[in-house]
Amino acid sequence: MLKKNINNKILCILIVTFLASTGVMAEIIEVNFAYVGQNDHAALLGVKQGLAESNLQGQFLNQKYNLDIISTDDAATHDFSGYIAVLTAVDIDTFTKLSENLSGIPVFNLTIGDDNLRTACINNALHIIPSARMKADAIAQWKKKEAGSHANAQAWHPDFVKFAARDLNKRFKKKNKTEMNDHSWAGWAAVKMTSDSVARTKITDPAELLNYLKSKLTFDGQKGSNMNFRETGQLRQLILLVENEKIVAEAPVRGIAKPPTLDSLGISSCEK
Amino acid sequence: MKLFWIPLLVLLFIFNTAFADPTGRIFVTNEKGDSISVINGSSLDVEATINVGDRPRGIGLSPDGNELYIAVSEENKIKVVDPKSLKILREFEAGSDPETFAVHPNGNIYISNEDEAKATVFDPKTGKQLAEIRVGLEPEGVAISPDGKRVIITSESTNMLHVIKASENTIENNILVGSRPRAATFTQSGDIAYATAEISGEVVKVDINSGKILKTGSTGDSKSKPKDVLLSKDEKVIYVAGGRANEVVVMDANTLEIIKGIPVGKRVWGLAISKDGKRVFSTNGVSGTVSVIDTDKNVVIKTIEVGKFPWGVVIND
Repeated sequence: MLKKNINNKILCILIVTFLASTGVMAEIIEVNFAYVGQNDHAALLGVKQGLAESNLQGQFLNQKYNLDIISTDDAATHDFSGYIAVLTAVDIDTFTKLSENLSGIPVFNLTIGDDNLRTACINNALHIIPSARMKADAIAQWKKKEAGSHANAQAWHPDFVKFAARDLNKRFKKKNKTEMNDHSWAGWAAVKMTSDSVARTKITDPAELLNYLKSKLTFDGQKGSNMNFRETGQLRQLILLVENEKIVAEAPVRGIAKPPTLDSLGISSCEK
Repeated sequence: MKLFWIPLLVLLFIFNTAFADPTGRIFVTNEKGDSISVINGSSLDVEATINVGDRPRGIGLSPDGNELYIAVSEENKIKVVDPKSLKILREFEAGSDPETFAVHPNGNIYISNEDEAKATVFDPKTGKQLAEIRVGLEPEGVAISPDGKRVIITSESTNMLHVIKASENTIENNILVGSRPRAATFTQSGDIAYATAEISGEVVKVDINSGKILKTGSTGDSKSKPKDVLLSKDEKVIYVAGGRANEVVVMDANTLEIIKGIPVGKRVWGLAISKDGKRVFSTNGVSGTVSVIDTDKNVVIKTIEVGKFPWGVVIND
């Protein structure tokens, strides 16, 4: 075992020397994420899925993505410098405190649907999960079309196949032996949009990344449309309407939604 | 007297097999119809529908035009069909979830295996896998330069064109493009390639030798989700399948400005151009039709009903 380790070390040194001599070393970009929340949360599974996919992309571009997992209790005292973004699956109070303390660092909300967090318009808060109002609007649109229908509104569904959702569901289930849900989709999307942005821009500074995400993002969340953020920090996205565990429609509901765009769902600007 | 005929017959036989007349047929895979539609090249009517198995998508012809290959995705197989008799000749295992493929001038097939993040190379004569190339997530589009030197694989969820050196089957360059690159095509010289990015609604023109993007052009409004792309015979324009924009977009190959949108059917994905460059065929998935475009006027001259969710199209001309 020891011998193997030594051999591995020698091999590593040789590789490093080789890479350094070819100049490849200088180009490696390394990026660190922090996740705050329970370590058995579905959101974390999504985060890890996104991380694996980011590293798969990174291997072609000399980019490496790492993850630190921090419990909610330790978050207040943890040093968050050195992270490109903080991914959270926490309660609303913890989220508000964290995002206010970490101004300039993108703080992703993966789990909280509360509309007050959107109207608060915290500059560095990025809400991947749809707000309660977005879901309510989606249901209202659907009811206009199908009166008497009691649908659920969801960000994601394991049976979703369109827009290559099928592929994401398939590889998530293969890796995690469980189905992707709203929280794990949000975790995946937050990491993937960050690494896609880093890959394109080579940005490694959190404040620069925040600016890029809020103003220039074009993200493929495997839900069809090109995704970007509202000024409230909410991610624009379609919502799935589900009845008896079956997808019955997508909102914006065609022919009903006004305007017929993603902004027919929820609050889209900071002005009240 | 009898002996005199033998060499002549042998000669005739060789001539017939080596230079067999192409059927002129247009072949279309019906993703949800589990079949291929066979369109007569002169009448432009469907003359036959053949059941080929679960979820046929990619379709292509051998360099001599004597064999038709079909990627039957859910069965993880390539099926080989005789374009004349329309009989399934044989089949072989083609890795997990084969989606799109392209046939190399040497006869080998380059396949994107969508759920395995790899491309595989098969010899369709023996059904043997010759090579495997690790690529990004959800590999889809496959394009091969006319001289056979390079292969492009697009990986949709990794937003890249992987440029592969065909002689070694290794990646020589990775070119980051817009979101969800779906298809690519080379110019005759092989120096330039065009690729579509579905989610960002773009076409990029790439210098293959340097790996640099020369130009990016938008394919239209937000409904436009481009998929297949091909060049006109004179290489002056490109034809882009506009996806949910329900049109084939004609763009200037140099400036990437839109010249015209040709309305076809709903969810247009597959495109093929005839060897003489006079006809472009598009598969319109949701409509269940194929549109025939006259490239002189860039108008649809016929719409043909095919099976459920037509996906890919090739011409045996």
